[in-house]
Amino acid sequence: MICDTVAQELEELIAAAAAEEEAAGGEAGAEAADEAVAGGGAEAGAQGEAAGEGEEAAAPPPGTPMLRRTEYRSTGYHVDATVAPAQVAEAAAILDRHQFFIETITGVDWPADRQMEVVYDFKHREELCRVVIRARVDRDDPRLPTISHVFPGANWHERETHDFFGIVFDGHPYLEPLLLPEDADFHPLRKDFSP
Amino acid sequence: MSVTVTDPNLETFVLNLGPQHPATHGVLRVKLVMDGEYIVSAEPVLGYIHRMQEKMGENRTYAQFLPNPPRLDYLSALSYNLGYVMAVERAAGIEVPERAEYIRVICTELNRVASHLLWHGAFILDLGGFTPLLYAFDDREQILDLLESVTGARLTYCYFRFGGVYNDVDDDFLAGAKAFVKRMRERLPMYHDLVTNNIILIKRLKDIGFISAEMCRKYGATGPVLRGSGVAYDVRKAEPYSVYSEFDFDIPSYPEGDSYARYRVRMDEIAESLRIIEQACDKIPDGPVRAKVPKTLKPPPGDYYHAVEAARGEFGVRIVSDGTTKAYRMKLRSPSYSNLSLFGEACEGMLLADALALMGSLDLVIPEIDR
Amino acid sequence: MSGYFKELFTGTKSLAVGMGVTIRAFFSPVVTMQYPYETPKIPERFRGHIELVADDEGKPKCVACGMCQRACPSGCITVKGKKREDGGKGKVVSFYRLDFTKCSLCGQCVESCKFDAITFSKEYNLASTRKEDFIYDLLKRLQEKNS
Repeated sequence: MICDTVAQELEELIAAAAAEEEAAGGEAGAEAADEAVAGGGAEAGAQGEAAGEGEEAAAPPPGTPMLRRTEYRSTGYHVDATVAPAQVAEAAAILDRHQFFIETITGVDWPADRQMEVVYDFKHREELCRVVIRARVDRDDPRLPTISHVFPGANWHERETHDFFGIVFDGHPYLEPLLLPEDADFHPLRKDFSP
Repeated sequence: MSVTVTDPNLETFVLNLGPQHPATHGVLRVKLVMDGEYIVSAEPVLGYIHRMQEKMGENRTYAQFLPNPPRLDYLSALSYNLGYVMAVERAAGIEVPERAEYIRVICTELNRVASHLLWHGAFILDLGGFTPLLYAFDDREQILDLLESVTGARLTYCYFRFGGVYNDVDDDFLAGAKAFVKRMRERLPMYHDLVTNNIILIKRLKDIGFISAEMCRKYGATGPVLRGSGVAYDVRKAEPYSVYSEFDFDIPSYPEGDSYARYRVRMDEIAESLRIIEQACDKIPDGPVRAKVPKTLKPPPGDYYHAVEAARGEFGVRIVSDGTTKAYRMKLRSPSYSNLSLFGEACEGMLLADALALMGSLDLVIPEIDR
Repeated sequence: MSGYFKELFTGTKSLAVGMGVTIRAFFSPVVTMQYPYETPKIPERFRGHIELVADDEGKPKCVACGMCQRACPSGCITVKGKKREDGGKGKVVSFYRLDFTKCSLCGQCVESCKFDAITFSKEYNLASTRKEDFIYDLLKRLQEKNS
């Protein structure tokens, strides 16, 4: 039940952002969706466009905002929503309104796509519903807004993700190393890290 | 503890608690800004025993990573062992024989009782009572002997395997587990006489260290901390895994939200775990204890998540597979990390001695926080 | 005021009840094992460091296939083999070293062995100030055990 409501609201959020993007993109006259994915990485965007207008319909590039309902038995979660990086705080606010609790935040490095993924896990306490929010950011300049004002518990998780991946959470009150030493300037979970 | 006066005009000073302090149960440091005996703000400083377990998970095959998760939380190692193997089983689509599931449940619940017993002793030790630790260790020793006889280890077990368990249990173990249930049931009233109803303990814990259910939600706190705030949330009931749905047990919860409520929750959980162990020992079917599993596991590409209820809360494993023998990304979500993150907010304005009682009632295990 | 006295009474009673528990424990049998005067019985499945298993003739069963070496998460095991001297097929082990300082006793090596050539030992009295004491030559250990 709660899963359906949340999925619908997240879908509306994604659709609203896509519509806004399209309106803005109409003026610029560029592939709006594609640019949202690349997030400023002009080269990656150009490659994506060059690679195939036709392919895009079959498989959208990774990180395109969309919502999937997944089978719980095989994956372990119910709703898998990819949102634009700027929208994570709004998505978290939706889940906060529906009494979800924050489970964890983590990152995944995708050097092949030149992107980094930030994964937020939420769960509902009364009903069995797990929601995963994803956002992909540009690997060369990974930054997205913080959700620590929505969920104070995200504070530590974001600091940890910053430690391990070097992802910058804009607006975070205290983005200092937490698990790594205070003078650490390396990010061990990046795929190109070597000690 | 070291004390430095930051500003003579402001009557606050910084007190450094830890990293080597008996009350922090390991190498946790807390930077406290104090106004006399009262805490103005607290900031836990982590990472003293950070080992980058998640990177190790990316560099080893799935089977080779098996000994690592139990070393996150050495007190309830089997829950972590279970969480990891179940996540990999979900990713690779492995079915586990029923007898193996029952063995897993019995061993994990025994381990949970052992963990709560050690917490009980150590917690009262924090508050200044030495005696209960020795009683708790006497009972815990019985569990360790039992688990040693099947797993071969006393603390950092590595017993569960993908598709089952390392080796079968015999009737001696089941009889031993049942004997322990009987013994522990006789001993529990003794604990309540000695500790729970003790006026000094009640005065130290009651109405102190309040954590609300809403705060737990905002910080993602789970386990006995959440149940001490009146929310009967337990992964074993909310998201039944293994064969937990076949047992009759309750989730204890107390609405007060103070340190005493969390104490009561854990003591009640021991009794509930005993109920599960007893039922599992009666119901355990015959059959194989290990499914046929390919030697090298290659889960299909994708994201997989599995959570189990460890002694301290919800332990989750997220595996991102790229179809090779090693995980592309292995995220270990440990409960104490979230439970500790609310400490800073919860202890504001408290007396230092009460804050240590609050910290003890969170039941922290530092290697699990630092990972 | 009555609450105060009531609490005083129940409080004192709770302390007396607690004292009663400790007094009873005082007269109950001792549970502490007086190690090293008594030693515990080591269970059958106890996992000590691994050791080689000999066949009926006292020779190691190991054929130096290297499965344990590959299965080990921490790279503790180094196995080398040589051709059989009697001209038969396969290899025999010529060198088997275990670096116990890195071992976490997970049992992957024992599990991976198809020839039941390694097993867990029952040794637990292991203490030393030198790291080298925990780098075992298992083949030599087996030969010493046999002789």
